[in-house]
Amino acid sequence: MAGTACFIIVSKNDIPIYEAEVGSAAKKEEASQQHQFILHAALDIVEDLAWTTNAMFLKAVDKFNDLSVSVYVTAGHTRFMLLHDSRNEDGIKSFFQEVQELYIKILLNPLYLPSARIASSHFDTKVRALARKYL
Amino acid sequence: MDPLKSYFGRLLQEEISPMIMVRTTPLAEDACQKNGLNFVELLLPFSSFTKLNVPVRTANDQPYRIQLFKLRLAYACDIHLQNDEVAEEHLKQVVLDANQNILPHLTSEPPELQNLLKKSDLCPSWIETFNKELIRTVSFSEHETFDHPVACLFVVSSKDEQPINRFVDLLNTDQFPPLLNDGVMDPKILKHYLVLHDRQDGSPDKVSNILAEMRSTFGSNCKFLCINSAEARSDDGKDVPWMPYGSHILHRDNTARLLSREDINGVRDFMQDLSSNYIIPHMEQKIRILNQQVAATRRGFRNQIKNLWWRKGKEDAPESPDGPTYTFSSIESQIRVLADYAFMLRDYELALSNYRLLSTDYKLDKAWKRYAGVQEMTGLCSFMLDQSRKDSDYCMETAFTTYLKIGSSSQRNASRCGLWWAEMLKARGQYKDAANIYFRISNEEPSLHAAVMLEQASYCYLLSIPPMLRKYGFHLVLSGNRYYISDQRHHAIRAYRNALFVYRENGWSYISDHVHYNVGRWYSFIGVLDLAIKHMLEVLACSHQSLATQNVFLNEFFHVVQSMGKKFEVYNLRLPVINMASLKVFYEDFRTYASPSDVHVSENLWQSLEEELVPSATTSRSNWLDSQMKSSSRRNNDSAVCVVGEAVVVELEFQNPLQVAVPISEISLICELTAKSEGTETGSSSLNTPPPDGDFESPYNSDSSFMLSKLDVILETGETKRIQLEVCPKMEGLLKITGVRWTLSDTVIGYRHFEFDMKGKQKKGRRDLSSLSTNLEFLVIKGLPKLEACIQHLPKKIFTGDLRPLLLELRNQSEFSVKNIKMKISHPRYLIPGNIEELNMDFPKYSENLESAVIKEAPATVIPNTKSFLFSFPDDAKVQGRACLTWPLWFHAGLTGKISLYVSIYYEVESCSNNMTYRILRMHHDLEILPSIDVSFNITPCKSSLHEFFVQMDIVNKTKSDSFSLHQLSSVGNMWEISALPTTLYICPVQTLLAGQALSCFFKLKDCRKNSSNEEHLSGCDLLMVSQDNKEVIDVSKSPMVEFHQFERHHQVKSSKGDLGKVDFILISKMAKTDPVIEPVERPKLLTNHTCHISISSNSPISWQMSGSRMINHDFSASFCEVGFHLRVQNCSDSVVSIRLVTYDVMPGRKHSEMAKLSDSSGNGSGWNDISLVNDIKVVSSVQGNRPKKLSMESQFPFIWCALSSTKLDLQPLSSSEIPLKICLFTPGTYDLSNYELHWELNPPERITGDLKTCTSGTVYGHPFYLTAIQLQH
Repeated sequence: MAGTACFIIVSKNDIPIYEAEVGSAAKKEEASQQHQFILHAALDIVEDLAWTTNAMFLKAVDKFNDLSVSVYVTAGHTRFMLLHDSRNEDGIKSFFQEVQELYIKILLNPLYLPSARIASSHFDTKVRALARKYL
Repeated sequence: MDPLKSYFGRLLQEEISPMIMVRTTPLAEDACQKNGLNFVELLLPFSSFTKLNVPVRTANDQPYRIQLFKLRLAYACDIHLQNDEVAEEHLKQVVLDANQNILPHLTSEPPELQNLLKKSDLCPSWIETFNKELIRTVSFSEHETFDHPVACLFVVSSKDEQPINRFVDLLNTDQFPPLLNDGVMDPKILKHYLVLHDRQDGSPDKVSNILAEMRSTFGSNCKFLCINSAEARSDDGKDVPWMPYGSHILHRDNTARLLSREDINGVRDFMQDLSSNYIIPHMEQKIRILNQQVAATRRGFRNQIKNLWWRKGKEDAPESPDGPTYTFSSIESQIRVLADYAFMLRDYELALSNYRLLSTDYKLDKAWKRYAGVQEMTGLCSFMLDQSRKDSDYCMETAFTTYLKIGSSSQRNASRCGLWWAEMLKARGQYKDAANIYFRISNEEPSLHAAVMLEQASYCYLLSIPPMLRKYGFHLVLSGNRYYISDQRHHAIRAYRNALFVYRENGWSYISDHVHYNVGRWYSFIGVLDLAIKHMLEVLACSHQSLATQNVFLNEFFHVVQSMGKKFEVYNLRLPVINMASLKVFYEDFRTYASPSDVHVSENLWQSLEEELVPSATTSRSNWLDSQMKSSSRRNNDSAVCVVGEAVVVELEFQNPLQVAVPISEISLICELTAKSEGTETGSSSLNTPPPDGDFESPYNSDSSFMLSKLDVILETGETKRIQLEVCPKMEGLLKITGVRWTLSDTVIGYRHFEFDMKGKQKKGRRDLSSLSTNLEFLVIKGLPKLEACIQHLPKKIFTGDLRPLLLELRNQSEFSVKNIKMKISHPRYLIPGNIEELNMDFPKYSENLESAVIKEAPATVIPNTKSFLFSFPDDAKVQGRACLTWPLWFHAGLTGKISLYVSIYYEVESCSNNMTYRILRMHHDLEILPSIDVSFNITPCKSSLHEFFVQMDIVNKTKSDSFSLHQLSSVGNMWEISALPTTLYICPVQTLLAGQALSCFFKLKDCRKNSSNEEHLSGCDLLMVSQDNKEVIDVSKSPMVEFHQFERHHQVKSSKGDLGKVDFILISKMAKTDPVIEPVERPKLLTNHTCHISISSNSPISWQMSGSRMINHDFSASFCEVGFHLRVQNCSDSVVSIRLVTYDVMPGRKHSEMAKLSDSSGNGSGWNDISLVNDIKVVSSVQGNRPKKLSMESQFPFIWCALSSTKLDLQPLSSSEIPLKICLFTPGTYDLSNYELHWELNPPERITGDLKTCTSGTVYGHPFYLTAIQLQH
């Protein structure tokens, strides 16, 4: 389990549709906004990188001090972004792949509008479980 | 791009240029100070040359020309490493100076992306200055020589006594900077001597003597400079010749007053002469000498081997942090000087080769700082030569990391290296990399410097292609944060607000909260409160934040607002959240409501209820004369109508998204009421012309024309409240409800306008509501009477069967009287109007006298088959102004469950000229009817009599705790008569039924239909069930019981409509025990249970009875005996039945299936639903009792049927017929005459549909009938 891990799903129009602090570190008040800042800024790098490769998993695209940002871009250009301080690349990749499975299930829901906020508590529980498993 | 032409190239050429050390005498300084300048400042504008055009020949024999050249000048006392604190202060001053300029910008709108990109120089100019100053803080370091003075300029005033001696004093090395004295640099530097003559002190004649003397003493390097030749002028000095050059210093009044054009030209000539004739040749010469030395000692294979071997030997030497010390005479220092001079004279190739040579040496010596310095210069040379980017980047990287590795002492050097590196990358267009470098520098610098670096990083991101806006924003925010930490609030705000456009309108909530909150806070610090509040407003609805943060945000906001010192209004204040979709408008036009909750009932429901009540206006007025009425009524439909003095209610949802309770006060509507002008009055009377908006007068004073309700609420954590706001117009006109306003925490007034998309609403299929809720414009019409009504004593919870009188009270609050009152009730089964005479009667006493059995016309008015009930009040029932009308109502709780009663009261307005002639008052009540007593009946034909039946009555008390005393059982109509079984006086063993208790009792029912004439008489027959006192019998044929019974009959209708073999019972009971829970008003006085359509018939449509003598005396010895009987058969059904009677002498073998069918069907005869199994079996057994006994039917025939063995006849409905039968007896004995069968068939079968249980034909077997024959004794 990583010390800091902030997972966020960004819709194709750059709006976060799911946010979760999945790290084990004690949550600080400042942290959530700092994490958002870093992830938001990393979107610029993702824009550059996403079109240069066929891979969905872009690995660590950006760094801020000792925190790195790993990104996974789905075919619909939804971006899974993970801010983490661990170096477990394989785990992160598996995590992203499993989250994509969950995300597709959300998309299959006819009542879910694409790019709307994911409010499903089931999804949340599953993501957190995956984070415990892989990160 | 040519690196020399780039900004960075020019910067390097300026910054890395020969340094001239200056020493002056005080008198010389004095002469300069007359112009407000010191000597260096005087020379400075002329120290850089753009077109010097001097040929230079360095190590290479090929000369080249230098155009751009610059000399740096510094006083000898300034040539030393700067103190850290001083440097810090100096840099801070640069930032503070910039502060003054930005304040006006901060109050303007924050920049947009387009404007930002259009601006040619993104980076504020002061940042360049800051960079330069930051680089200068590390000047005059030991490890690099380009800052070391190339020459020394000694200046003596002509006023000085014995100038030669003054020069000698200046030459005293004690006063020289430590660099020269410590042996770091060669003390034998080029010296230049200058005599400064102040023209005001006289003619320059005597100076020539001094000059000659100097030349003889110091050689040819002696010059003469004349200043202050201009007249002292008092004008504001517009044409001071110095002006174009004075940009680098602050202008004061006396600046350069005394400098004439000749003086300036003299200075310029002096500087040009100095650089081209002395400095450059000197450097050329030095380069050539050093190059020869280096070539001799280091170039060539042999030298390199020797050098390597020699350096290896030094490996064991103890390591000092700065590495070994090198004096100016060491070969390393000489190579460095050579390289630096070559760099300064633009011979970059020579410089590069020497730097490379040197870097290996320093690396081997572990002289890291020098190594880093050399690497840095290598990188710069590569850049200037436009060589491979990788090389230069690698060198800069090495230099940067090496400087950092050394520690804090060379941290600033790292910063300088980084700045150069970043500039280098920028010059090549690698903005993203440059931004990274700035970010790296920021990590090493104190917060203020870091802030400036981060700001530059952000500009780099913006300049990169495509612009990386998010990075730009992020770094600006980081920078702003640092500015704030280092107490530079103006800069902090500037940084944040530049980033605002990046974060506008996106879902990154924490980010926008952080930005707006901090900008708001900082604005409040610098006193720009309006902007502070503007930004603070953005963070108010921060539901995603933690409780602590929400508190902080709110408190800060209120603090700012309070320090503002006044209440102010905010459009679209985000706290609380108003759910605009929840907006509902309730108003009363011709429809009025008794209580606010009635409004929520769907309009369709009311309209269907009021169909017969309301005159259909448009269809009745087909005449053209009535067109005015039509148009006006249509107009009323277009815009809603409300009445003066009657409130319009707007309902809105207010939601508190926070975890903090928020007090909200003075919630009220924003309205406009425009009075109708005279012109529109006439306009409105014309055909089909709705009054145009423009014809209204300007609004009246709002205080007088309408009244607004004001509400104060406290919204708890996460609470949503529906709030009803009222506006009450006080004059005619057009009322517009435009918005809502509220006060948050007594400090901020928020307001919001209602915006509608009417089309959108209608698309959603809410058309039925559109008339009610979406229109916010009201035509206010003249005051109308309005009835208020309430039903008194109507409890919310009632037991089933409860019968009670209620009182409808109509009040007229206005001056006008109303007439023609009609009332419509949705559920007449539960509620019916009574008669006015009943108003003062005491219920239930008055029902109890049998004498006044007046036949009422009431049943005739009852229309049981309509769903609702229309009642017209008598014509004389008018409600005068300020009067009150009461009318009795009867309530009977028919069925268990929840019931909504709707009552509409229609009334017309008397003597009213208005368009609105009638109004409707709507009432709505929700009741819950609890189960009380459940009754069911089962009727079995009595075998002994055709007209008598046994009735089993099962009563269950279904309440939890209440007990009831049974009072009376009545059958309705005169066709049936109830009587107790002969053995008991009362049919019921107990009178009080406790909670949960069940009771079965039996009684006899007699059919009196034969006796009655055709005329309906609903008196009925009663049976008292109480034994003690209170023996009054309640007359069920009186109102209201008879009406309710009609409705019950109607509702309990079964499939067999009009079947005459049906009995209706009414069980009347009373509440026995006083339950303290129920209030005395709500206590039921009387409960009536109506059970209708109890079928008396079993499964066969016929009943029959054998009649004849039961005992005969006969002398069997004489002859056999003939006995005659009659079988009386009655048709109980309502159709023709054909009957066939078959008698058997021999008992036919019966199939068991038939028997089974018989016993099965016997269970279906009654409508019983809740009976215990034991009772059921009892009933069945009695039916099964009429099976013929097989055992008596032996082979012997004790009697034989005479006469016809089979008879067939048709029976008309409800008729009976007798069949004569005869038997022959041969011996005395007792005989069972049951061996006959009746086959019946419904003829024709009328109901093809209907319930499937109905058989069209069947067979029944004879009842046992015993005949005893006795031998007559003679």
